[in-house]
Amino acid sequence: MSLLLARRAPRSGAPRSPRPAAVARRRGRRVSRRPRSPWGVRRAAVLAISLGSAALVAGFATSAYLVVRAELLAQREQTALGQAYVDAASVREGLLTAGAEVGDVLAAASPPADADVLVVRGGEVFSSSLTRGLESVPEQVQDAARGGGVAQAWARAPDGPVLAVGIALPAVDAQLYEVARVGELEATLTTLRAVLAGCALAGAVGGALLGRWVAGALVGPLRDVSSTAARIAGGELGTRVPATDDPDLVAIVASINSMVDVLEERIDTEARFTADVSHELRSPLTTLVTSVGVLQRRRGELSERSQRALDLVDAELVRFRATLEDLLVLGRFDAGASAMVRVPTDAVVLARQTLASTGRPEGLLSGPGRDGDALVVDVDRQMVSRALVNLLDNADLHGQGVVAVQVRGSGSAVLVMVDDDGPGVPDGESGRIFERFARAGSRQARPGSGLGLSLVDETLRAHHGTVWAERSPSGGARFVMKLPASRA
Amino acid sequence: MRELLIVDDDDGIRASLTLALEDEGYRVHEACSADEAMTLLAGRRGMDLLLVDLMLGGLDGFSLIARVRPTCDAPVIVISARQDASDVVAALEAGADDYVTKPFDVPVLLARVKALLRRGRAATSLAPPAASAAPADPPPASGPSAAGRRRTVLDAGAGPLVLDVDAGTLRRGADQVHLTVTEFRLLCELSASAGRLLSRTELLERVWDRDWFGDERIVDVHVRRLRLKVEEDPSDPRLITTVRGLGYRLDVA
Repeated sequence: MSLLLARRAPRSGAPRSPRPAAVARRRGRRVSRRPRSPWGVRRAAVLAISLGSAALVAGFATSAYLVVRAELLAQREQTALGQAYVDAASVREGLLTAGAEVGDVLAAASPPADADVLVVRGGEVFSSSLTRGLESVPEQVQDAARGGGVAQAWARAPDGPVLAVGIALPAVDAQLYEVARVGELEATLTTLRAVLAGCALAGAVGGALLGRWVAGALVGPLRDVSSTAARIAGGELGTRVPATDDPDLVAIVASINSMVDVLEERIDTEARFTADVSHELRSPLTTLVTSVGVLQRRRGELSERSQRALDLVDAELVRFRATLEDLLVLGRFDAGASAMVRVPTDAVVLARQTLASTGRPEGLLSGPGRDGDALVVDVDRQMVSRALVNLLDNADLHGQGVVAVQVRGSGSAVLVMVDDDGPGVPDGESGRIFERFARAGSRQARPGSGLGLSLVDETLRAHHGTVWAERSPSGGARFVMKLPASRA
Repeated sequence: MRELLIVDDDDGIRASLTLALEDEGYRVHEACSADEAMTLLAGRRGMDLLLVDLMLGGLDGFSLIARVRPTCDAPVIVISARQDASDVVAALEAGADDYVTKPFDVPVLLARVKALLRRGRAATSLAPPAASAAPADPPPASGPSAAGRRRTVLDAGAGPLVLDVDAGTLRRGADQVHLTVTEFRLLCELSASAGRLLSRTELLERVWDRDWFGDERIVDVHVRRLRLKVEEDPSDPRLITTVRGLGYRLDVA
């Protein structure tokens, strides 16, 4: 039985966690997709209960039928036998009287309405019914009676099933046969068969319905549990599976909730760790940066070699700082603790200011014409500007320079596009490049932390936007940031 | 020579900042805790500027600023490790004029120090608060005086306030209203454009010399602080009004 863990997009505002597949990938586990087995719990339960109850009911019906039938037959035989004895005694008495004629004696005896009596004496057959003959009596009964004993057998006469009894009357040198018609019995048995078969069928159908209901009742609460688990996996770590009275589910609910507690605490601990690391690293970095600044002011006092060494230190510090900043911002996103200050901002102004602040020519920028409405987005200016800077730096680093920056409206969204002059993003890589520390090509010592693009990705996500890479019309790479337009 | 006080418990930051600031020609005093800072401030004539790290052992930076503010008008720059909203806003509301985040660019810090000192009137000393440190001036006349001093009369509902830009004072009657350097500067800017709307970005540039990416919360907090000191009813401001989504405006009568 597997819990369905649906993967959903993380909700905004809720504490975010890395998506399960991404976490699994990072840990090096294969994200395997097991083929969905065709026999779920539900189907198995339905089938088992249906077949089981059908078999049970059929078995019961069959054995009930057999028992009742045997009983009915035995009873009938006893009755027939008893009656035959009575008639035999009466006939014998009659025949013992001197001068009695068999025919008259037969007529005097009164067999039951559903039976005929036959007397065989001296080779002659006398019957109480015009239609009943000796052919209705099976051979073995006749043999037994001629032999001096008593016998009983079921037979099929031309007019229906019969039960024949044969009794020897040695005192008068005769045999008496009583042939009882048992058509009603057979009718009863047929009816019984039909009724029991009907019950068996009804039982089977009832069983199937019961099976379905039971399966539903089983799986229903599990579905609730699994959908809550899916929400938790999707990032709503505050959610818990509601407590249940069901004693079978208590265990699983408790373990899921405690698992989420542990998870949440882990994430909190990580967030606190990140915050602590942040503080610990920032202070020594401040001292380093400040001291290098002092040295730079006093460059003139240094020898040329010392100046070169100082420049190396300065450059590496800049890189260190950039990496640390990126890491800290990403860490905050991971912990869901990023505090953004969102302000309605004209996207074109943002792009222009960003270009200016990084010393790039304003001519690279093109936006909608004068007649268009201003393209306003609700953004944390520093964050989104930084994301744009990362794209620009990426274009410089891997794309041989920025060719154009465009700002366009697109439906209810605003697009900011950065085109470069490079070979473009290799096919199939366009998703991977936004992962952390993913680098196109070898891992040389290049400036840049390897985190730039993943920062852009996280920033856009936090703003309910997206970023992607495609090919620009001129053949290079085009990175597109899409932000929802401000509803003002 | 301007006297600066650095309050930071990290030896490295203190030492390197001292070097950098002394290179700029300032005289730097160091304190490694809030207690030491308060002792220093009590014993000296007064500082021209304070640099306070928010994370200090013992009494923290916010509390130090709050304690010191009533008796010291020197501009305060806060050094923080975090840019989180609560920390920064709390520091500003406690009385800081500006903030930098570790690790900061030294030229940026030096520029901000310079800007704040340039604005400054001489910082008032840590004389007991009751004296309010100002000699009793004769009640001022409204409008520009014969000496050509820039003076404006403002009305916030609690009686006329006289803003003397050159003297760097704001008076209500005979009493001086204590404003920090930055609050005063903000009031001057608003007053200079009286009746006109000034956006947050504009105020940020004029008063704090920031670029477009600056943090506009500084403006909001300072307007709030100003209102607390100047308005009769800060929750229903008559002098400085907020124009929602656009900025602030000073209304004269």
